[in-house]
Amino acid sequence: MYTSTGFISWLLRRISGVALVLYLFTHLWVIGAANSGTQVFNARLDAVQTPIFKLFEIALLAAVVYHALDGIRLLLIHYFDLTEYRKTLFWAVFIASAILTLAGGIAILAIMLNGG
Amino acid sequence: MSNNDIQRTVTVRIQRFNPDVDKKPHMQDYQVKMWPGMTILDALHEIKTHQDGSVTYRRSCRHGICGSCAMHINGRNTLACKTPIINEVQKNDTVTIGPLPYLPVIKDMVVDRTSFWEQYLRVKPWLLPPNDIPEKEFRMSQEEVDALHDAEACIMCGACYSSCAVIGLNKKYLGPHALLKAFLRVLDPRDTAPAERLEIVSQADGVARCHTIFNCIDACPKGLNPTQAIETLRKLAQKRQKYEEARRERQKHLNEPIPS
Amino acid sequence: MLTFKIQRWSAIALLFFLTVHMIFMHYVPPFHITFDVVQARLSTPTWKIIDILFLFSVLVHAMAGSYQVITDFESAFNYRKALAWASIIIVILAFIYGAKTIWAFQL
Repeated sequence: MYTSTGFISWLLRRISGVALVLYLFTHLWVIGAANSGTQVFNARLDAVQTPIFKLFEIALLAAVVYHALDGIRLLLIHYFDLTEYRKTLFWAVFIASAILTLAGGIAILAIMLNGG
Repeated sequence: MSNNDIQRTVTVRIQRFNPDVDKKPHMQDYQVKMWPGMTILDALHEIKTHQDGSVTYRRSCRHGICGSCAMHINGRNTLACKTPIINEVQKNDTVTIGPLPYLPVIKDMVVDRTSFWEQYLRVKPWLLPPNDIPEKEFRMSQEEVDALHDAEACIMCGACYSSCAVIGLNKKYLGPHALLKAFLRVLDPRDTAPAERLEIVSQADGVARCHTIFNCIDACPKGLNPTQAIETLRKLAQKRQKYEEARRERQKHLNEPIPS
Repeated sequence: MLTFKIQRWSAIALLFFLTVHMIFMHYVPPFHITFDVVQARLSTPTWKIIDILFLFSVLVHAMAGSYQVITDFESAFNYRKALAWASIIIVILAFIYGAKTIWAFQL
């Protein structure tokens, strides 16, 4: 195993990517309840909007935010030849996704506690 | 370096594997007294000559140009001959040395590099010069030389290849060393077949399989940048026919003096 | 190289669609989503188009990504043609299912 910031970013990208693919198909199935009518849809949607799922949503947000920012980092490297700044970019992505996850997570908790 | 450091004894922890006896590799410690300017390779010589003749490793020139002694030192791939041991001594007075990762170990630090050379040959690493060879010399402008980013300095040591996580998973990937060489040939104004080369590297096992992990840059003992070379190849592969036409136009003026 | 390009272009599309989706679905009231809420939003054709395009790009990105992850393993790399077709079929089936769902909110 050859560990480095690049390796860690690649591993996190893969893990969050696979998790998001699994989430995507679950999400499609949940929303797909609309095909069976209003009652079924509302029942299934109520089931996935309980507090426990809100906490899962924070983990989901972390995966989405990291995957997106890491993707932006890669696009920047592809199109602007930034290989010399690889370590700075890695830490920038890491810190930015931590801040965004925290901000978004607090918002989710606030909405949940207000009974939104 | 203080006087104390000169007298210091360090523990060199070497990964040992003898296929005749061992089922899997194990670590073995050796005590080595450092001298000023001692390299990792010097320490290995010291062990092999005075302590344990069975320690096996490849080395040849001792000047960082043959590429034989690439090893995994303290978790990083580098050349043993150009790494001063004093820089690698960890807090517990230990230096850990192992074979290049992701490659089959033959014995101790000697690895099987078959896949390395097979992938290398696939990109046709040799120059394909034009039929009409100038009488004296090929002329290149300074910009054309700069664009190569010293890629010709590659010594084929395998440090980048065996640091690549994709190689760890899939030996069918061309690898940073082969792609760097392809980059060198594609950008060389004397080469006649850039489109064919770009076609080879844009296959499923070529540039698209690089996941921009940057281990190759960090590993390269010559300070080269295979990742940037791969990025450039990706861009050129999009317009390979146009690029080849521009090359043919350029080769009409290969033996003329460079306009300054 | 084609997978690589598809991945990049769908990624750029997703950066837009996903930001819109996240803000309007989860950070703008009403926070509790029901059938009526979604129906009210999807009654405008712009939202319908946005959601259909979002669905397509996210499916393409997901399956191109899965294809890349799986074919990174040497054993799977040898079956990459079959895997590519499987990914395409999954994208088509999931797109039909998802588009049908978006349509269902009209009733």
